[in-house]
Amino acid sequence: MSVGDFSTRTRRTVGAGTVVLALLVAVAYALDLPGAELVTVGAVERTLRSATPIALAAIGGLYAEKSGVFNIGLEGFMIFGALVAAASAWLVSGSGTITQGHLWFGIVSAVVVCALLTTIFAVLTIRYEADQIVAGLAVWFIALGFGPFTATVVWGGVSSPVLPNVNNVTVPVLAEIPVLGRLLFDVSPLVLLTVLVTAAAWVVLYRTKFGYWVQAAGENPQALDTAGVDVKRVRYATVILSGALSGLAGATLSIGFGSGFTGTGVTMVDGRGWIAIVAYLFGNYNPVGAFGASLLFGATDMLQIQFQTIGISLPGSLVGLFPYVAVLVVLALVGYTRVPAAVGEPYESEE
Amino acid sequence: MLRASVLERFAIAVASTLLALLLGSGVVAAAGYDPVVFLSSLFYGAFGSVSNVAFTLRQSTMLILAGVAVAIAFRSGVFNIGVQGQFVVGGFATALTVLFLAPMLPSGTAAGFALVVFGTVAAIVAGGAYAALPGLMKAYADANEVITTIMLNFIATGVVFFFLDSYLRPQGAAAPNTEPFPAYVGFPSLVFDSGSFSVLGLAVALLTVVVVAVVMARTRLGYDLVTSGYQEPAAAYSGVDPKRTVVTTMTFSGMVAGLTGAIFTIMILGYYSDPATFPTFGFDAIAVSLLAANNPLGVVPAGILFGGLDAGGQYIGFTLDVPAELVDGVVGLVVLFVATPELFRMAARRTGLGGRYRESGEGQTGGETGADGEER
Repeated sequence: MSVGDFSTRTRRTVGAGTVVLALLVAVAYALDLPGAELVTVGAVERTLRSATPIALAAIGGLYAEKSGVFNIGLEGFMIFGALVAAASAWLVSGSGTITQGHLWFGIVSAVVVCALLTTIFAVLTIRYEADQIVAGLAVWFIALGFGPFTATVVWGGVSSPVLPNVNNVTVPVLAEIPVLGRLLFDVSPLVLLTVLVTAAAWVVLYRTKFGYWVQAAGENPQALDTAGVDVKRVRYATVILSGALSGLAGATLSIGFGSGFTGTGVTMVDGRGWIAIVAYLFGNYNPVGAFGASLLFGATDMLQIQFQTIGISLPGSLVGLFPYVAVLVVLALVGYTRVPAAVGEPYESEE
Repeated sequence: MLRASVLERFAIAVASTLLALLLGSGVVAAAGYDPVVFLSSLFYGAFGSVSNVAFTLRQSTMLILAGVAVAIAFRSGVFNIGVQGQFVVGGFATALTVLFLAPMLPSGTAAGFALVVFGTVAAIVAGGAYAALPGLMKAYADANEVITTIMLNFIATGVVFFFLDSYLRPQGAAAPNTEPFPAYVGFPSLVFDSGSFSVLGLAVALLTVVVVAVVMARTRLGYDLVTSGYQEPAAAYSGVDPKRTVVTTMTFSGMVAGLTGAIFTIMILGYYSDPATFPTFGFDAIAVSLLAANNPLGVVPAGILFGGLDAGGQYIGFTLDVPAELVDGVVGLVVLFVATPELFRMAARRTGLGGRYRESGEGQTGGETGADGEER
């Protein structure tokens, strides 16, 4: 990407961010909302929680797309993640009392199972050159079908009963510090994990040889091949990573913060996988940027609760649409300016 | 897929469906049910009795219409995943029109006919307009239509529910439903004695297929749309404005999706209700269109097949307590396999069943997948 491109891109990103923020402020102003009461510690905490699944899936998705495979199935893998996490925690507890240990077992299972499922997706798209968009959509449909089906087999209904969720990590004493204490020292381990994943993803992508391979696999696979690195292997690695992170993202929804699996309608994932794709585009394929964009979508997602707490009765059905509208605004303003050159193209090495 | 021969497409479609059903039966067996009972119930539910056939044809009518909507876009190289949203908006426009105009007209068959026509036109306009939105966003802001149309599905369902819930729910009604349409608004039930299926509805669907097929194959508009899908540079060179074509494609596709909503509202519902509870015809139609290799005529058999699967699936849901969602999963598997023709080519080569095949990699990689990566 040339410097000119980069600055245009940055200007557009900043512009789009400003517009979304301005819209939020305009809504707040039009409805005469007390701004200070909207931005509370609780709101920031909820924003972080709401951003977590989006950010995790986004980071996985950006790795896959950086390496040349557009994993548009993130939403589907998140559904599987949410289901597997809840179901395995439930099953391992013997349908009885679910402990924190069981929950963590559920989270790890979700990651492993989704990694395995994405391996199949990776084989179909990389080895058998499936159309990436259509195959990704198929993943979503399969999850929408088999997700609630599996839930019925496990629980006798498309949704699970109420399950406990992962406890916060509380650092004694420090948690007592006003504002910061609650945000930094009394926090869900999954939020911390997401921050760690973001940082690690940034370091790996821009500071390691593997990160360089990932970028080369998406930009110039021939060159990478010539340099003696197996393009397909790099792509397998990133696609499987995207599945594992989507699984984790789904797990945070069902038993990380939520209270079980909901299989009605478009399930509890409710479009967050699609929002994740926009988050990494908006973040310009940079893990830190993707995390920032996820925070923006997380904040719009949480507006409903904020409105309720301060007693504003905007119809929930409309406020709940804010994240989707935000996605449209972001896409309209930022568009798809710069994607890795070889995305969507299967790579055949000249053996 | 687009470059395969007709015979090869047909073979891939059949193989995809069979493989998906096989895997679905495997899941059924793994879940502790009897796969033979599953398959036979599926078949019985689809074609086993006159009323089952009527139900299959009813679902097929919707899937054929929605499938044509999807096919128009896919054929032209645009992914319209928003057929569901356009379907919801179209049906809502029908309901508004019928409920608003009904008190102004005298009751009777003639008025009923007029209301059906007005309602249908409203749906076509609304569906087209709603689909033009992502078309404009793709053409002028480079926004990927896969994501915008999916977001617009969520938004359509939410906004329509809001209006329904706040303004159209009759006094004291518990459910978010509108008033029912007057009894004289609807399709007469011919041939099959069914309150929610009329052969006329199926006729409208088949007529739409023919019209779309003729437009795509015989008119300047259709030529522009299809060449843009196959070869965008060539289309641009021959004077087709690619931006305008995208908007036209989406609008045309959305108009058919809106018509689907009108038929659903008039023929099946007879009122309007929370769109979140509607069947996902717009999504299943993606499978229908792909199985038909995005050919409007091919949508008819594909629509009947999926209509049968759907009817069979619902029958299973009632009788076997195997959830009907299972069939949605099978439909998803069909999509996955249809997207992967190489899998079957390879299988055919290995088993020696395939006859003449190109070497892999030649011609396959460029078309559909490449176009998407490049144009963004």
